[in-house]
Amino acid sequence: MNKKKIITIILGIGIISLFIAYQIYNKPHVNVSDTKSDITITADQIINDFSSDETKANRSYLDKIIKISGVISELKVVKQKGIITLKTNHDFGSILCHLSDKASQKINSLKEGQTLTLKGICTGFLMDVILVKCEIIN
Amino acid sequence: MKIIYTILMCFLFVNVSNSQKQFLTKNGAITFFSSTTMADIKADNNQVLSIIDASNGKMAIIILMKSFMFKKALMQEHFNENYVESDLFPKATFKGEILNFETIKNSETKLEVKGSITIHGKRKEIIIPATFIRSENTIFVKGEFNLLLSDYNIKIPSIVSKKIAKELKVTFEFNHKPYKK
Repeated sequence: MNKKKIITIILGIGIISLFIAYQIYNKPHVNVSDTKSDITITADQIINDFSSDETKANRSYLDKIIKISGVISELKVVKQKGIITLKTNHDFGSILCHLSDKASQKINSLKEGQTLTLKGICTGFLMDVILVKCEIIN
Repeated sequence: MKIIYTILMCFLFVNVSNSQKQFLTKNGAITFFSSTTMADIKADNNQVLSIIDASNGKMAIIILMKSFMFKKALMQEHFNENYVESDLFPKATFKGEILNFETIKNSETKLEVKGSITIHGKRKEIIIPATFIRSENTIFVKGEFNLLLSDYNIKIPSIVSKKIAKELKVTFEFNHKPYKK
């Protein structure tokens, strides 16, 4: 009786840990549209932060879900994926927002010059600040 | 009046020559594959910045490591945190020169690009074969090559070493357009 109990407990623990390991292995990506944004900022402000001190800006913005607002300067679709460029007060840099598959379908309803708020994940700064998996808020 | 005219002409000339010199893309694509008997892993990056100076065939590419998207979130996390250490080395770069740049035609032209890749803070000289097509308003490049993880000091723990190949296959595709401000 006692032996049986121990075996059941060990088996139980084994199954639970396997289940947990499987869950961790298949952990889903962050769902941008359902997750609250970490930072709310304007296009001008984020480009200023990146161009004045990139290392510091990397620390505060990378991997974060950022809600950003700005004026659309360019709209394009590359390989069925929408890319929105937001204007900034900088000479070179702008904000490049790569849309999610779902948001890419809505790109036709947008116009250049329109003010827009998006939510996406910041991956860094090249010539422009780059946000991926963006969802259109309004 | 004459001076103003000259200045205007100078600006115009500078602008014209500049706009035809630099070709660039901000949404170049790089994909890497790791293939072993245990697992196939693939990651895409569609935010690659690539610049070609058409006056001398020099080429520069900058890649954000965090822009590589994996199918599994856990793999992406491990890639960034443990293998390439994206917080310490957020960017990978390539700097080099397209050999025989002036021979690129309006049809597929096979050439070599010679330069150095820096990943994970380690620099390595490399020659990459690539296919170019040049038309009036674009310079298109695509190709593939292999990359040894050990060359860039990227260590894979033995527990997962059967799932991650020691040599990755990298493919790239850039469609450069003339640069205008």
